[in-house]
Amino acid sequence: MRLRTFAWIILLLVGAFLGANITSWKLPYTMPENAREGKTVWQKNNCISCHALFGNGGYVGNDLTKLLERRSEDEVLNYLTDPPVMRPNREHLHPALETADAEALISYLKFLGDIPTLGWPPEPREVRE
Amino acid sequence: MKTFQAQVIARRYTLAAALLFGTQGIVALLGAADLIIPDLPSPIPYEYGRSIHLGLAVLWPLIGTMGMVYYFVSEDLDREIFSLRLARWQFWLVLTSSLSIYASLSFRLGRGREYLEGLPWSYAGIALALALFSYNLIRTLVKHKQRITPAAMIMSAGTILLLLFLIPNILTITNPIADEATKFWVVHAWEEMAFELTTAGFLASYLKNTGLAGKKDIEKWLYLEAALTVAAGLFGTGHHYYWIGFPAYWLIVGFTFSFFQLIPVALLVLMVHKGLKKRPKLGNRQKLTLALILSSLFYHVTGASLLGFIITVPWINLYMHGTYITSGHAHLALFGSLGFLVLGGAYYILSRGTQPDHKTYRRGILAVLALNGGLLMMSTALLIAGFLQAYRARYLGMDFMEVNLKLNLYLIARAAGGLLFTSGDLLLVWQILKAWRNSRPAASDS
Repeated sequence: MRLRTFAWIILLLVGAFLGANITSWKLPYTMPENAREGKTVWQKNNCISCHALFGNGGYVGNDLTKLLERRSEDEVLNYLTDPPVMRPNREHLHPALETADAEALISYLKFLGDIPTLGWPPEPREVRE
Repeated sequence: MKTFQAQVIARRYTLAAALLFGTQGIVALLGAADLIIPDLPSPIPYEYGRSIHLGLAVLWPLIGTMGMVYYFVSEDLDREIFSLRLARWQFWLVLTSSLSIYASLSFRLGRGREYLEGLPWSYAGIALALALFSYNLIRTLVKHKQRITPAAMIMSAGTILLLLFLIPNILTITNPIADEATKFWVVHAWEEMAFELTTAGFLASYLKNTGLAGKKDIEKWLYLEAALTVAAGLFGTGHHYYWIGFPAYWLIVGFTFSFFQLIPVALLVLMVHKGLKKRPKLGNRQKLTLALILSSLFYHVTGASLLGFIITVPWINLYMHGTYITSGHAHLALFGSLGFLVLGGAYYILSRGTQPDHKTYRRGILAVLALNGGLLMMSTALLIAGFLQAYRARYLGMDFMEVNLKLNLYLIARAAGGLLFTSGDLLLVWQILKAWRNSRPAASDS
């Protein structure tokens, strides 16, 4: 293989890859403003270090992709604004959020719940049966 | 042997990379301790400590790679690089930008994106450094176009790809699917494509200089190997797209190209195996470098390629993804295959013109053994913990936190592995510093 052939192959591969990505990351519907704010809250509080979304993130907390299918909004709001101790700690609390930030975060999680994730997170055996 | 000024400048890059690697081990060990000692008091909370650990994991290999590329491009072309001044500026820019990430995270200021945790302007600084780097390399190749070798071309292509895939990550992306995807352009495409190209020059040069492979043999296959690496590395990123909202065809693309990622690795292993059968006579410096290269190849084959391939099978990935198995794989792939290679390059560059005595060599080997032992212990503990998480929480549907609380034994084993690893880390950095100090007169004389 020669230099020119190599350069062309690389250009074509990168072009195809970027094109395929751009056509693949379409959202199911426009992201509401409060969900956008919720994404900022998620990032500002560095939630990803402990929790995962779409399976990507920290390992010490639960994956929150479809959290609102398992927990009610009120439950999550209470948890975020009046957080419990994080086990196995005895004193260390989960970080607390202001009510407005917690509501925005819930909107973001709600929006994420509508993204088709091809079966993520997997359903446990009892649920399937 | 002629020494170019670019090779003298490369020493500061590789030295900075080695020192950051030393810091990495300590930060990681503290993080591992935080997980097993409840309410451990710490000025930096766990979530920001983890961010510093992940940020360091990507950036010290980048800084080391910059030095390696300057060193081996000038050696390969047998010419000086286009602008030495740019290379010096680039060093301070990339170092300051990287350090600014750690400083801001220490004050709990970050962007909350895994692996790209710093503030956007820090990444703008790193992208600018990569732009200077690419410009310098392109001008060097254009200036000496009659002397372009496959290794120099491939290293330069890798550098441009590092820049290309970092740029979108400077921006704030609101679309969460696009945000996830572009993150993997650094987490996966950097590691398993661009860095594979940039380190090719080091491997080619080492194999040539030690007589493990002939120049013609290497150059005959290098473009083909690099093209395969780019195709498989790029589209293999697809295995990170399975569950983030991308269409279902990415399950096939990700899985298929993850399989193809095995081919260039197999070609490389065959070449080294063929060379080793010649039983070449190597000095202590070359033997220690070889120990680091062989460590890298081992993890490249096992932890990165084979384990990586198994967990990219979609129906396996559905259960294993996002558990400690991913963490185990990440340690094996990121440090195991890339980290060892960059350390090999750093040691090779910084020890040039010197030959360690038997005692120093034995300490170096001890450090490599401790790094390997620690890495294997950590990864094994993480893989078992991850398997238990997958089985109990994902398959049986047990409560996630209940499952996690029962993993303490494996997290203790991980921390013990981390302690062994950090001991090896500090011992190796010490050996590298000694090599740097001993080779200083040789480097500055020339």
